[in-house]
Amino acid sequence: MTTDTHKATPHVPEPPRPHDHSLAALHARLDGLSADVHYLVERQRKTEELLEDMTPILKAMMASATGRLSAFEKKGYFELGRELVAVGERVAEGFTPDDVRQLGGAIVDILETVRELTQPEVLKVAAEGAAVLQNAQEAQPIGLVGMVRATGDHDVQKGMSVMVEVVRHLGRAATAVRDKRASAPGRRAMSEKKARLDAITGKRAPQAKVLGVERAIPLTHVRSAAKKIEVAATGPGCAVPTTGPAAVATVLDGVGFGADGHLADASTWTRALGAKLAAIQGVEMNDAHWKLVELARADFEATKVSPNIRRLTQIGGVSTKDIYAMFPKAPARALAKIAGLPKPAGCL
Amino acid sequence: MSSSANGSRRVAIIASHGGLDEAYPALILANAARQSGIDAFVFFTFWGLDVITESKIDHLHVNMVGNPAAPVPTMLAGLPGMESLAGKMMMKQMQELELPTVREMLQILDESGAELYACELAMKMFKREKKDLVSQVKDVITAGDFYDLSDGAQIIFT
Repeated sequence: MTTDTHKATPHVPEPPRPHDHSLAALHARLDGLSADVHYLVERQRKTEELLEDMTPILKAMMASATGRLSAFEKKGYFELGRELVAVGERVAEGFTPDDVRQLGGAIVDILETVRELTQPEVLKVAAEGAAVLQNAQEAQPIGLVGMVRATGDHDVQKGMSVMVEVVRHLGRAATAVRDKRASAPGRRAMSEKKARLDAITGKRAPQAKVLGVERAIPLTHVRSAAKKIEVAATGPGCAVPTTGPAAVATVLDGVGFGADGHLADASTWTRALGAKLAAIQGVEMNDAHWKLVELARADFEATKVSPNIRRLTQIGGVSTKDIYAMFPKAPARALAKIAGLPKPAGCL
Repeated sequence: MSSSANGSRRVAIIASHGGLDEAYPALILANAARQSGIDAFVFFTFWGLDVITESKIDHLHVNMVGNPAAPVPTMLAGLPGMESLAGKMMMKQMQELELPTVREMLQILDESGAELYACELAMKMFKREKKDLVSQVKDVITAGDFYDLSDGAQIIFT
């Protein structure tokens, strides 16, 4: 500013031009210049005045600031500041600029949360909780019964209700976070990795949800249907159907027998053959024996299953004891052999 | 080795468990032996005594705790009433299959000529007397007695 003033001044004593009109022009220019100079000088003066006025104030400020800073130093604020800087550095190391930008977006929420948390009532609850924790060594251990008993306490009930509410909100928040993350790009690869891991570790994948299709038939239906089929196939007394003629292993008197000694085809049986077979079994046949043989044959005709002992007691109206008395060794088998039926299956 | 003097095959079955599911194997094996013309002896000892105890025979339970084949997780299987429920469900299923009850099985075994014995030591332990047992039990004997009378039999422990 001052240099401008010095530069402007030498131009003032310019030699006058010989012509009147050029002299007039010169005068006009000089007038303009003198106005400029006046303005500049005025500005310079004002600046100097300002400086003069300001100096004592600045001095006072500096003194006060120095005093305050030394007081801060004494109070340990600078140490705190240095620590804060260190914290800031650590934050800078751990966070990318992107993270910080996101944090900037969330700062309102954070402040809101802090405000909520620092409400006097909330702080009082927290203080009381802390007091309990401080005296935790005085608490007596309680077992399951103690827990159950404690649930009768009104305060505990209240506390549990609060906790449940908190947990519910946490759950909602967790779901929201998960949804947000799942929709974010770049998370797809991670979720795929997780799905693969789940497949290996056997965690049940929510397939119906992912694919958006329901099972045509619920699994439980399939299971119960399978069970019904199984029951139908095995039938009562876990007997297995033995239908159709068995493979002929040996032929005696023109009649074919299976490898297990039973008649290969029940339709080739005659009473005379039955008597012969009974003799081989060492069974002396009487009317009761023959009646049972007829019943067994009739039952086989009807059910296509060779009756076991339990079945024989049911259709013959005889006790287990009677049957064992009539056919002492392996009754159902002996009877089936004599009656020309296949070997009875099942465990009963 | 596994036959008596008269040449017939013999089995000695030791029933040491009292669960509904644990009782059947011994009973069915014994019955199957008799059906196949094999002499059968059953020795009920320890919890197996419940299977022949009059007051317990109709209320045998199924224990699902620690059973990896159980249809419910072990944590749930331990809940009160669970084994009774499992026992009822199993009985219902056996009814559908027309399987005889434990009581009927003992009746059948007795009629088929299988011999049922109770362990003397276990009877003392559980403070039971012969009159507490079902009528099909032939005698209360010691383990040594059981070996003697099932001489030459194959032994099956259930």
